[in-house]
Amino acid sequence: MTRKLHSTIAATVFALFGTLGTADAATTVKFWHSFNKGQGEALAKIIAQFEAANPGIDVEAEFIGNYNDIVAKLQAAIPARRAPDAVILEITRYGLFANNNILTDLTPYFDADPLKSDLYDYAREVGVINGKNYVVPFNSSTPVLYFNKDIFARAGLSAQTPLKTFDNILAAAKTISEKLGSEGISGIAAPGQFARWGLVMANDSELIDPTTNEILLDKPNTVEAYQWMASLVNHHKVASPDGVTDEDNGRDAFLAGKVGIMMNSTGNYVGSKKAIGDNLVVRPMPCNKVCSVPIGGAGIGIMASSPKEVQDAAYKFISYAASPEANAAWFAATGYLPINKKSAALPVAVKALETQPGIDVAINSLPYAHGRARSTVVTWMRSTEYKMWEAMALGQRKVDETMKDFAEQTRAENQRTSN
Amino acid sequence: MFPAGANSAMLRKLTPYLFVAPLMIFIAVFTYIPILTSLNLSVREWNFLSSNMPFVGLRNYEQLLLSRDFWNSLRVTTLFAVFSVPLRLGAALVIANYLVRETLSSRLLRGALFLPSVTSTVSIAVVFSWVFSTDYGMMNALLEPFGLGRPQWLQDPHLALWVLIFVNTWKQIGYDIVIYIAGLQAIPRELYDAASVDGGRRWHVFRRVTLPLVMPTTYFLLIISVIEAFQVFTIVNVMTHGGPAGATDMLVNLLYEIGFVLFDIGRGSALAVILFVLLVALAIVKSRIIGSKVHYEA
Repeated sequence: MTRKLHSTIAATVFALFGTLGTADAATTVKFWHSFNKGQGEALAKIIAQFEAANPGIDVEAEFIGNYNDIVAKLQAAIPARRAPDAVILEITRYGLFANNNILTDLTPYFDADPLKSDLYDYAREVGVINGKNYVVPFNSSTPVLYFNKDIFARAGLSAQTPLKTFDNILAAAKTISEKLGSEGISGIAAPGQFARWGLVMANDSELIDPTTNEILLDKPNTVEAYQWMASLVNHHKVASPDGVTDEDNGRDAFLAGKVGIMMNSTGNYVGSKKAIGDNLVVRPMPCNKVCSVPIGGAGIGIMASSPKEVQDAAYKFISYAASPEANAAWFAATGYLPINKKSAALPVAVKALETQPGIDVAINSLPYAHGRARSTVVTWMRSTEYKMWEAMALGQRKVDETMKDFAEQTRAENQRTSN
Repeated sequence: MFPAGANSAMLRKLTPYLFVAPLMIFIAVFTYIPILTSLNLSVREWNFLSSNMPFVGLRNYEQLLLSRDFWNSLRVTTLFAVFSVPLRLGAALVIANYLVRETLSSRLLRGALFLPSVTSTVSIAVVFSWVFSTDYGMMNALLEPFGLGRPQWLQDPHLALWVLIFVNTWKQIGYDIVIYIAGLQAIPRELYDAASVDGGRRWHVFRRVTLPLVMPTTYFLLIISVIEAFQVFTIVNVMTHGGPAGATDMLVNLLYEIGFVLFDIGRGSALAVILFVLLVALAIVKSRIIGSKVHYEA
C-alpha cells in the first residue's frame, strides 16, 4: 500500500515538473491590439502561422478597443506594472511613449533585419522619431472616398459623377439628401477624425507641421476646411448630426445603406464590401487645392520594461507580421495598404487586386501620401479635437473662433509638455 | 512565553480585532489608501509615464477653480441632481403607493420596474443612444408622423441633459420603489384605520400619515440618490461623452477626461478631492436641514 502511494506521489511530482518544464520552454509575448470582427480573425490567423513556425514563442493576443482605448489603458497599465510586451500604437500617438522611454528603441533589431529593405519608404518612415525606430508598421492606411452606387443611381447621379473637389462632393450630397431624404437617406457621413485630417491636407494645409511641429490649427486653409466640413452638418444639413457625436454612427449608417458618401480609412474596405457588396465604389480623397492624403494606421512597439528574451521574441513576431506572407494576407483580408514591397506579387494579394475592385485606390494614392506629426502634444491635440469638432459641426461655436482657441490651447500644452 | 492564563486573556482581547481585521484591511486597501494617494497626487504633476512627480503645491486646484470647464461641470451636475432626484423620488413614492398592495399584478409590476436596476448601465445607454438617434431613432420615428419634427435629442444642448435625466430615472426608479414599498409596509395599519374613522380623505391621509412616516426612507433615498447624481458617469460617457458643447459634461466625466484622456493625473486627483469634499458638505447640509424633520417612530 505504502509502496503504491510512494509510486503515485513520485509519478505526480514527475508529471508536475514535466509540465513546468514545458511551460518554461515557451516564451510568452503579451500583445495588445485593436482589431476585432473580420480584422481580428485575420490577425488571429497571422499569429497562428507565426506560432506554428516558432514553437518556442507563444503570442498571447488581447483585443483592447480602439486606438484611443489602447493609449488610455496603456497609460494606466504602466504604473500598475500590468503593461503588455508588445502593443499596437497609432502612428501619430506613439511619440508620447517613445519620448518617455516606455518603448524600446528598435533600431538595432531593425538595422539587422532584412525586412528593413523590404518595406516601402512611407511605411519605414512612420516608425521613426528623431532618427530612432520605435514601431514597426503593421496596418497602414490612407483615407479614401466610398460611395454607394445604388443610392447614387436612385438620386439620378451616375457612378462617374465627379467627386474631386469640396464643391463636387457637396453637390452630390445635396442631390442625394433632396431626392432621398424622405426615405431616411442622407447625402454624406459626417467625416471622422482621420478623414477630417485628410480634408485639411486636401485644402493645402496641416494640423501640425510634421517637420517643424509648428501648430497650424488656425492657419486660414485649415479653418476653411473645417468651415466646409461643419457646414455639411449645420448649414447644408446633408450629414446627420448622429455621426458627429459618435463617428462610428456615420460609418454604420453607410454600411446599412442609409448614407450615400463616406470618407474613411481604406481599412474599412473589406467590411464595407461585405455590407453593401457590388454597390460599393471607391475613389481617392478629393484634391481640393492639392492632392495630399495622410498616412494612418498603426505599428507595433515593444515595451522597454519587458525582459530581453521576451523583447527578442516580440521582435521576431512583429518582423513576421510585416513579412510578405503575413502582409499580403492582411491586405487581402482587410484592405489596409501593403507595407512590404514583396507582398503585392504573392498570389493572395494578386487575387485580391483582381477580384476586389477599389482595393487598389489607396495604393494609387501613395505618391501623394504624407506622414503626420507625432510629437508628444499630438495625443493631447487629437483627444481635444473631438470636442472642438462637435461644437463647430453642431453650430454651437463659430469655426474661426474655435480653431483660434484650439490652436492657442495646443500651443500652451505643447509648451507645458516640452518643459 | 506567557503563562496559560495570560495567554488566553490576551487571545480574548485580540479576538474581536481579529474578526474585524479582514474587513478593515479591505477598506484600508480599497478606500483609505486610495483617498490618501489621491490627496498626494493632487499636489503633484504626473502623466502616468514619467518617473518623477514634482510637487506643485495647490497649482492643480488653482487651475481647476479658474477653468471654465470645472464651473460648467459643477453647474451641469447640480442641474442634473436638482431635477433628477425629486423626479426619481416623487415618481417612486407615487408608484410605490399603488404597488404596496400584495396582489399578483403588483408583484409582477414590481419585478418589471426593478429590472432596469439590475441591467448593465452600458447596455441601457447603448440602447437609448439608438432610441434617441436623430435620424435613425425610434423616438423620432414616433414623433414625426404627428408633425412634431425631428429633435436632435443628443446633439441639442437644451435637450441632451433632459434625455440623460430621463434615462437615469428609468434605470434607478425600480430600486427607489422597492425601498419605498418596504417603508410603506412598515407603517402601522391602525393609523390608516384611525384616519379613516376620522373621515380623512385620501390625499389628507397621504399627506398627514404616509408622508411623515415614510420620511426616514425618503431621507435615506435622498442621500443615496444625491451621491449617485454627483457620480453619474456611464450613461454620459456612452451616450454623449459630455457633449454637445459641454452640455452634459458632469463632474465625474470631466475627471475621467482630465485624468484618462488628457493624462493630467494631478488635476484629475484635485478634482476627485473637490468632489469628495463637496459630497461630504452636502451630506452635512442635508443632515442639518432635513435630518431634524425625520421621525423614526409612529
